[in-house]
Amino acid sequence: MGLIGYTCSYIPVELLSATGFLPYRLIHGTISFSEKGEEVVKVDACPLVKANLGYLLENEKRFVGVVGATGCDLARRQLEVITHFTSLPVHILNNPRTDNPKIFNDEIEELVKFLEKLGQKKLTPELVAREIERWENFREGLRVMDQQRKAKPSLFSTSDFHKLCISYHKGNPPANFPSSTSSPSTNPRVYLLGSPISYEANPFLQLLEKDLQIVGDFNCGISRPLLIKIREKNLTGIKEAYYHQPPCIFKRPNKKFYEWVSMELKERHCQGIVAWTLDYCDNYEFELSRMEKTFGLPLLRIRSDFSFSHISQWQLRIAAFAESIKENIYV
Amino acid sequence: MFSEVAPKRITLSEWSRQFRKVPDEVIKKFNYYQNSDWGRYLSPPATFFVYGARELKELKFDNSFSSLRLWGFVFNESERLFRAKQTGRKVIATMGDLGIIPVIVMAFPEAIPFYPECFWWVPFYNKSNVLLTRASELGIPEATCFSKAILAAFSKRAYFPVPDLIIAATGASCDDYSCLMQLLEDIGYNPLWVEIPLRRQGSEERVAGYLIEEYQKIWQKMVEITGRNLQKEELKKSIRKANYLRSLVKELKETVSQAKIAPLPALEMMVIEFGNLYGYGDFAEWIKIVEGILQTVKERVAKGIGVLREDAIPIAWVTPSADPILLNLIEDFGCRVLTTEYLINQALVPISENLDPFLALAQAFLNASLIGTTKERIRRIKEEVEKGRIKGVLITNVLGASHCALETKLMEEELQAVPVLAIDVPSPGGITEQLKTRLEAFIETIK
Ligand code: SF4
Ligand code: SF4
Repeated sequence: MGLIGYTCSYIPVELLSATGFLPYRLIHGTISFSEKGEEVVKVDACPLVKANLGYLLENEKRFVGVVGATGCDLARRQLEVITHFTSLPVHILNNPRTDNPKIFNDEIEELVKFLEKLGQKKLTPELVAREIERWENFREGLRVMDQQRKAKPSLFSTSDFHKLCISYHKGNPPANFPSSTSSPSTNPRVYLLGSPISYEANPFLQLLEKDLQIVGDFNCGISRPLLIKIREKNLTGIKEAYYHQPPCIFKRPNKKFYEWVSMELKERHCQGIVAWTLDYCDNYEFELSRMEKTFGLPLLRIRSDFSFSHISQWQLRIAAFAESIKENIYV
Repeated sequence: MFSEVAPKRITLSEWSRQFRKVPDEVIKKFNYYQNSDWGRYLSPPATFFVYGARELKELKFDNSFSSLRLWGFVFNESERLFRAKQTGRKVIATMGDLGIIPVIVMAFPEAIPFYPECFWWVPFYNKSNVLLTRASELGIPEATCFSKAILAAFSKRAYFPVPDLIIAATGASCDDYSCLMQLLEDIGYNPLWVEIPLRRQGSEERVAGYLIEEYQKIWQKMVEITGRNLQKEELKKSIRKANYLRSLVKELKETVSQAKIAPLPALEMMVIEFGNLYGYGDFAEWIKIVEGILQTVKERVAKGIGVLREDAIPIAWVTPSADPILLNLIEDFGCRVLTTEYLINQALVPISENLDPFLALAQAFLNASLIGTTKERIRRIKEEVEKGRIKGVLITNVLGASHCALETKLMEEELQAVPVLAIDVPSPGGITEQLKTRLEAFIETIK
């Protein structure tokens, strides 16, 4: 089945799949894809954008089109690069930075027009309702697993949770959600946030969870879909739910992002934060000091270009961080 | 004045010698805010060297009297802003939109708009890392666009007064700057956020509609701050003023680029292009300065004289040079900057005077350089290349700047007909022999 590539959690997956194509989130992250991407952008583009471009250049034939959003400047501009270097039809959803639901709603209408043309079919209310049902079930399954991850002690690891999320992002619901859980973890409880976690980042999550337990996250690639809950099974419901998901850090002002994460840290009894950022990912990098101050919890910064060349250094830092936060509980 | 001297680019000491010929009455004649008691701004560029602008010692300036006026006025901006505040004017920081919001602000007689982003030149002129270091202390990563100096300037509170209002435009634009503006909240400022929509073919009307709402919001805020409930007619007047300046600069750019011998250096031309944004905080005086420059240029063209050699190689410049000295250097190496794309197209186009003023402003903004595609951004440069007027293109990137990272290769693809050189501008005082060699090699290829 042909794939529709998409780049952002603000793009309704229900509408993409209503075309009959498979929604495939572009969230790749390996050095080799990133190097391939460097053939078409400068070295100081973020590694996620470079890797996604590299992946698309190598797999263009599998795709029927790409829908992107104006999340950050790089994310938006990568769509022009795709237009230039591939023959894929590309659509951009202009996700407003400020609180402006009117723009978002208009953009969803525009997206529907694009998809109807691409899929050569009408996205009827029945079709949309059916897709909402399907994806809501999937998200509900993820939410249940997330509750286990959140439990005290945590009953489900984030590295295993990430694998389930990958199937969501690749548009393939698992036949069954795991009924038995991983063994309870008593490692210090941390929250993970920052740049997207790529498909290939699972070994990194495993590395973190040797000494820590990630009990919650605010990352594309992991938990973002959970936060979208569609109540009315129609286009209005989609607009509402996607617009009102907990806002990304790039929204202005980004007070609500801070409020959401603060609440999560309390609810999930976190003892520390791991901030994962990709090179040149300004939206997160700029705010790290502010996060440390605002959240009042120890914060471990890990910056990556997708290579694992610093792995032994990371190991040491993670272990030291785990040791230092054992007693620290957010109340 | 100085009409007897041949046009050329001169050094700081040459300017100081030449300045002695300026009579006191002339110095007294030129004032900002029309205030002859404390508003004088005519001084030799060496004055600003003494105040800390150390790069001036390496720069070369145009030797006309009109350029002297320009430099005195531009370097006097900090002082002017503090004076504005002292004398009860409302100082409004207009950030991120580059060219439209000041037209709204200027409609209010006692309000002075300024662009903090233009202070990114300070570290280069001062050859100092003070602001960049402070930005790092505030948590800005090392490999970030030089605009980070602005956050430091806000935090130091020494470069401009605390604004009465900060208008922060964000959206389909540059990210580094949006992130910086966000951090202002952390150091105690409270910006009024304004949405910049994405430009796409076919959606212009819708996008203009969004902008109108944003501009009306700014208007209301200005009414609140100034206590003046103005009529739209005042905004129309402001548009007419802006248009007059825009038409002057257009004429100037055309005259300069069509002249056989370059009548004005690239550095002064860049400063003039940026003046369209907000008239360096005193629109009326800036208009007079540009009128003076245009007159000088016309005289030079009529006499067939100029500041560069006739065989200087015509090139285009894309993205403003963070370090002004690069503009000088390229001329020293035998080039002439014939056309530019400094990311401020929205400040250069005429604003319609027949429409509702908010709609007219929105339509003008739809020409903005950064809100659409790279292709659109360099269309004009490409046309010049196709006409054979441009022999090469120089792109000045800033390492870590969000748009540069993705635009450069696209531009190279589009401009394949001529040699293109993209350089990352080094930090203040960091121009190396290696970089100079690259510039020279680029020029050799064009030759
Ligand atoms: S971080 Fe936000 S803007 Fe970026 S891709 Fe994810 S949801 Fe979209
Ligand atoms: S938000 Fe960060 S990681 Fe995502 S595309 Fe932008 S720079 Fe890259």
